[in-house]
Amino acid sequence: MVINDKQMPEEKVSICNAEEREMLFISLYKSVFPSVAKYVAKMGGTFEEAKDIFQDALLIYYEKAIAGSCNINTNEKAYLAGIAKHLWLKKFRTNLTNVPIGHLDVESEVESHVSDNKLLNFLQTAGKKCMDLLRSFYYDQQPLNEIAETFGFSGVRSATVQKYKCLEKVRETVKEKALTYEDFLD
Amino acid sequence: MRTSLIETEQIEAHLLQRSDTGEALIFEAKMLLDPELKEKVLWQQKTYHIIKSYGRDQLRQEIESVHQKLFSEGRHKSFRQKIMSLFTKK
Repeated sequence: MVINDKQMPEEKVSICNAEEREMLFISLYKSVFPSVAKYVAKMGGTFEEAKDIFQDALLIYYEKAIAGSCNINTNEKAYLAGIAKHLWLKKFRTNLTNVPIGHLDVESEVESHVSDNKLLNFLQTAGKKCMDLLRSFYYDQQPLNEIAETFGFSGVRSATVQKYKCLEKVRETVKEKALTYEDFLD
Repeated sequence: MRTSLIETEQIEAHLLQRSDTGEALIFEAKMLLDPELKEKVLWQQKTYHIIKSYGRDQLRQEIESVHQKLFSEGRHKSFRQKIMSLFTKK
């Protein structure tokens, strides 16, 4: 696959907040998706398949690339394209057309149970503020000073306290809901 | 920080393997003596998994919304046409 690197200079870009992530994803879509789509089309795949594969690749790329910093190295586009190609070949070879590829390849130590989804839905509405804060810290791995700024805390110290308060609150919700959802503990 | 938050912090250090050997040993001992603490550790571990699932769900939504923008807004028309032409040719 030929990667067009013209869209973005080869440097570290900051991806600390939702706006910056959106800009990164648009840029990666424009520079990498054409070659992925071309490849999938050549192999007889559909637009929807190219879309699914690319989106899964973006998620994997994001999780691998962020690892502890707020920056992403933009000259790693070939890596993103490589992930997409790998996902396609895996799908193509195994020919599991009815299984969403995301469930096959996004490594996850947690199997998503029905009860997990119920709990997630609950937390999305009842505890969104805390979940967003916890997501920034544990999933996006943003530095605390950035988190403090984004969420309007006076500093790192207060962001840390809030983080643990939220963690405790969500932990109690998880426990409480576990007693409500029978199939939670299996 | 209040006592319970310090405990939450210690549980985190234990689960994310951030404590040094001495601290780890003390914590193991505490867990043996305190079933309630052990239970909290388990729920906190589950909580990290839930946060990860939440993060993924949200990120997928962000990616999908970028897709929708690129494939509907007028200013991305040429990009859209370039992609769609790949799938119309026989």
